[in-house]
Amino acid sequence: MPPGFSPAADDWRRALARFVTVIPHTRELGLEVLAAGPAGVRLRLPWHDDLLGDPHRGLVHGGVLTMLLDTACGAAVLPALPAPEVCPTLDLRVDHYRPALAGQGLYAEARAVSVSASVVFTEGRVWQDAARPVARGIANFVRLGPRNTPPGFAEALFAREDDHA
Amino acid sequence: MHEGFTDLEWLTRTRARGDVEAWLARLPYARHIGVAAEPAADGEGVVFRLEPRQGNVGNVLLPALHGGVVAAFMETAATLDLMLAARAPRLPRIVDLSIDYLRTARVVPTLARCELLREGRRLANVRVWAWQDDEAAPLATARLHFVLGDPAAGDA
Repeated sequence: MPPGFSPAADDWRRALARFVTVIPHTRELGLEVLAAGPAGVRLRLPWHDDLLGDPHRGLVHGGVLTMLLDTACGAAVLPALPAPEVCPTLDLRVDHYRPALAGQGLYAEARAVSVSASVVFTEGRVWQDAARPVARGIANFVRLGPRNTPPGFAEALFAREDDHA
Repeated sequence: MHEGFTDLEWLTRTRARGDVEAWLARLPYARHIGVAAEPAADGEGVVFRLEPRQGNVGNVLLPALHGGVVAAFMETAATLDLMLAARAPRLPRIVDLSIDYLRTARVVPTLARCELLREGRRLANVRVWAWQDDEAAPLATARLHFVLGDPAAGDA
């Protein structure tokens, strides 16, 4: 992070919106960042027919929920660190409480539960109706450390579009 | 009746001829990420394949496939492999999944193979491993639990 720079919630929302737009898979699906900061992130995946796993019964593909939880937990890692580091997923566990239904967007929330010297522990959940969670995820990420993080990673994350104008 | 997973006659027929492609054709997200299946070269079951599409990239710097897309691929493989391997036509519904990422998934074809470790009356446990160049050096392993639904009852 640039010295003396402490990002506000809206800086994080913008930075992570850029993060999910740079990822081809989430850009194609139109993933939105609703809120982001050290306390966690909230994302929204708009409805698209490609998310179906069973068109006949109108159910979302279970893998969509896994992909969304991996993305949400990964996005929650960055604001939880003293400075952004590259952190690949070590492992991910997803519990499917009930099928998600076609035609409605999906919301995901995730937060870092604990940060050690080498690992970031996260958890997240997915819902369509806030009273009926669809899935829970637990994901751990490896901290590669500043030495393995490309120079300018934090600056690139927080650059404003107009900085490049 | 519309041919689909709850049509027992269709499910039995496609299962008898191992027509995994007919099942994949009815899974829009699996089509979106580019999943295919073919008989294993060694004659042991089915090998699943994930196309290295640009839309599956999750890290543009390395570049690498999206870990969540790899997980979705392995979940699709486990579901369809279970539909083939089960004692009778069943519709699996996922209960939980646990995936370990062992190596970076490069943007090249990814293969996966499954093993049905236990088939009970109601629940099944499936192990999946995915690799790129060398099956002995997997990039991820996963295990999944499924509830086995009765297609005729439409309760899967």
